[in-house]
Amino acid sequence: MTGARILYPFQHGGDAESVVDAVIRSTVAKAEEIVALRGDVLDRLGPALAGCACAVAAAFRGGGRLFAFGNGGSSTDAQALAQLFLAPGEGGRGLPAISLTGDAALLTALSNDIGFDVVFARQLAAQGTRGDVAVGLSTSGGSVNVLRGLEAARRRGMVTVGFAGSGGGGMAEPGLVDHLFVVPSSSVHRIQEAQTTLCHVLWELVQQAETS
Amino acid sequence: MDTTLDSASARRTGPGLALAEDAGAVTRAARDMAGRFHRGGRLLTFGNGGAAADAGHLAVEFAHPVVVGKRALPAISLANDASALSGVAREHGYEAAFAAQVRLLGRPEDIAVGIRTDGRCGNVADALAAARELGMLTIALTAADGLPAVDHLLAARSDDPRIAREIHITIYHLLWELVHVFCEHPALLGTEARP
Repeated sequence: MTGARILYPFQHGGDAESVVDAVIRSTVAKAEEIVALRGDVLDRLGPALAGCACAVAAAFRGGGRLFAFGNGGSSTDAQALAQLFLAPGEGGRGLPAISLTGDAALLTALSNDIGFDVVFARQLAAQGTRGDVAVGLSTSGGSVNVLRGLEAARRRGMVTVGFAGSGGGGMAEPGLVDHLFVVPSSSVHRIQEAQTTLCHVLWELVQQAETS
Repeated sequence: MDTTLDSASARRTGPGLALAEDAGAVTRAARDMAGRFHRGGRLLTFGNGGAAADAGHLAVEFAHPVVVGKRALPAISLANDASALSGVAREHGYEAAFAAQVRLLGRPEDIAVGIRTDGRCGNVADALAAARELGMLTIALTAADGLPAVDHLLAARSDDPRIAREIHITIYHLLWELVHVFCEHPALLGTEARP
């Protein structure tokens, strides 16, 4: 069976309009699925998110900076997170945050000369200092370069935060990250969507801690 | 801190369920996008700030599908390259940074997706207008009023730019998935109805 057949078994037979109706029903179900997943992760991970926000706010107060990283869609999610801290817009306070996925010269140089597994670890080894924050995003929790980045951050004495999906993968290994948030879903898309919500709420809680 | 946490879920339920009501609109947009890809069109995406990251995310969904076996489809973000973006902005002004790129890179059969979570992004509106002038299929992921006429307006029903962004991410994930459903069944591709 192809992926589409698993997702859309109704496609075999039926006229065009009934197929479109079935596609719409399936779309409604996915929209409802993410509402339920968001509610579930906020319920279960909310207290841990508040604890993480305290640690991140304390790091900023001590002069620390936040570094965010991930691959593919998670690389842009890391950029969005860094941008949100840096330039939050009306009512927000800008805080020092950098994405490790925006510099093509650095990423291609490290990949070409050493290997893709070190693209985040080498940046953190060079730039990170004790009291900074490292945020790694991976939908599987198993991206080797993200795990090595978090290891490097830990060695530097940084606060480490990990966002993963499914069962947490390698990111859930004991002792790797201080604050781990695992979204229980097998869909990469739903995991990314719920991770974005967790990132946004983390930012809100940090802003609140900054101003209180 | 507790109040923020307590309300975090409730604040998202309404906008999230409103998206379920918009499933028909999302499906029609995906069907038209699939029609354009079928005719050899490419996807151009753009936005500012967090929406610039989403423009990159949307493009990579199509160019490198996460589901093994799905066809790679041509997609480019106009917000990714600091040299290109700042160079075009220096030449044409930041307000025209995306419109100027659309005029240079866009072809009539292409698709433009502009993303914005508030009304401050005039350059997204201008680029959608430029794309429409060229004959491209135009799709706006928005949360605010005041956009030019587009073929498909997909609005997140939230005043909170972060919640709107979360809804947008679900919308473009759905667009990607549905485009592949329609691409695999060309008989389902209809004629675009221009509003």
